[in-house]
Amino acid sequence: MPKVKMPRSAPSLDMTPLVDLAFLLVTFFILTSSFRQPEPVTVDPPTSTTIEQIPKQVFLITIDKDGRTFVDITNPAIKGKVFFDMCEKYNIKITKQDSLKFVGTASIGLKMSGIMDYLEKEPADRAGYPMTGIPYDTADTKKGQLYWWAYYARIAAKNDFEDRKAEAEKRKLEFDMTSALKFSVKADSRTKYDVVQSVIQVFRDVKIKNFEMITGLEDKPAN
Amino acid sequence: MAQIETGGGGGHGKHDKKRAKKLSTRIDMTPMVDLAFLLLTFFVLTSTFSKPKVLRMIFPEKNKDVPLKDLPKVKDGLTLILNGSDKIYYYSGSTDKATALEATDFSKEGLRTILKERNKWLINQIEKVQIESDKGPRNDTAFERKIKTKLEKAQAESKFVVLVKHTSDATYKNMIDVVDEFLITQVGKYFVVDEPLGKKEQMLLDKKLKE
Repeated sequence: MPKVKMPRSAPSLDMTPLVDLAFLLVTFFILTSSFRQPEPVTVDPPTSTTIEQIPKQVFLITIDKDGRTFVDITNPAIKGKVFFDMCEKYNIKITKQDSLKFVGTASIGLKMSGIMDYLEKEPADRAGYPMTGIPYDTADTKKGQLYWWAYYARIAAKNDFEDRKAEAEKRKLEFDMTSALKFSVKADSRTKYDVVQSVIQVFRDVKIKNFEMITGLEDKPAN
Repeated sequence: MAQIETGGGGGHGKHDKKRAKKLSTRIDMTPMVDLAFLLLTFFVLTSTFSKPKVLRMIFPEKNKDVPLKDLPKVKDGLTLILNGSDKIYYYSGSTDKATALEATDFSKEGLRTILKERNKWLINQIEKVQIESDKGPRNDTAFERKIKTKLEKAQAESKFVVLVKHTSDATYKNMIDVVDEFLITQVGKYFVVDEPLGKKEQMLLDKKLKE
């Protein structure tokens, strides 16, 4: 019997399909993933069985377990406008640079007087900055700064919505009515309900009635 | 493995001059594959698919003109009291007539069973409409509208009302859990009460807690 000769050259393997697949998946994950802004506090929301998705544009009110309140607006234009109005109200001089810096930050939970100090920090140093929460007053809501955040956000959101609607009508484009800024509350499971209620009270005084409570997903019961 | 074949290395003889060099078209793809999989692993591990969900709650504007005691009393209702524990205390009917609180919990056999029992009428109505809707024609807007009106009518006619009250110890989780139970058991009319517990309710709760 003749010996079976093994080929001398290294076995070559066609990797093209493998690479195709790998890049397809990479592309998919790059396109579908969106990077989250680092949040100043970790909040573990309770779970519910609703399947409703979080709206595209939100005014996010975060309440941590100690009752500190943070705000964030996902729409950069509205966020910039609200910050500008807030600074004007509390007599803080800002430059365009500061405004851009503010728009780039995540949720903020500081008094207006402390914001400039926070913005001057390098983004890398901001992580450990002690946030005290935005002050609010339940007896006379107008005295608290949270009231004015809500107030200016509501006005800016309304103007923005109407501008975009008019623009869409002018160009005869279809307008997405669901793109309005929604107010959503993200509170920790352990937060006292009284605190959540007080914060909601402030927003109710600005005539904001609908809230989207952010929750984790829970399985729907079988029947 | 794929490899670079450096074809035609030696031998630059006279006869080779005019002949075009035969270069291999194979390139070493290993680094590229390494990189692709590295990126793939990174994105797989960092991406989260479950986006947070939202529970819509509507808080009506406060009517400051009408004093609290002039508001109509709820007669056919259930009042739940949350106190931050894993128990829910409840009583039926008006506060004046209530004599003792009963306790239940957040489990399937607890609050959900009670709510399902009390809300039977509406659940049955909704089921009936659902069956009718399944039988009816598809993609018929007029029919869909009719079904929607029927659902709304059933919800409006339902007499079952739930009030949710809480002590200062109640947590946000308690509240969301209760509202979620309302969604599961189709309770349409529920109200989250802002005011602290009344004197009588506090007394009843203290009594129940001592047991």
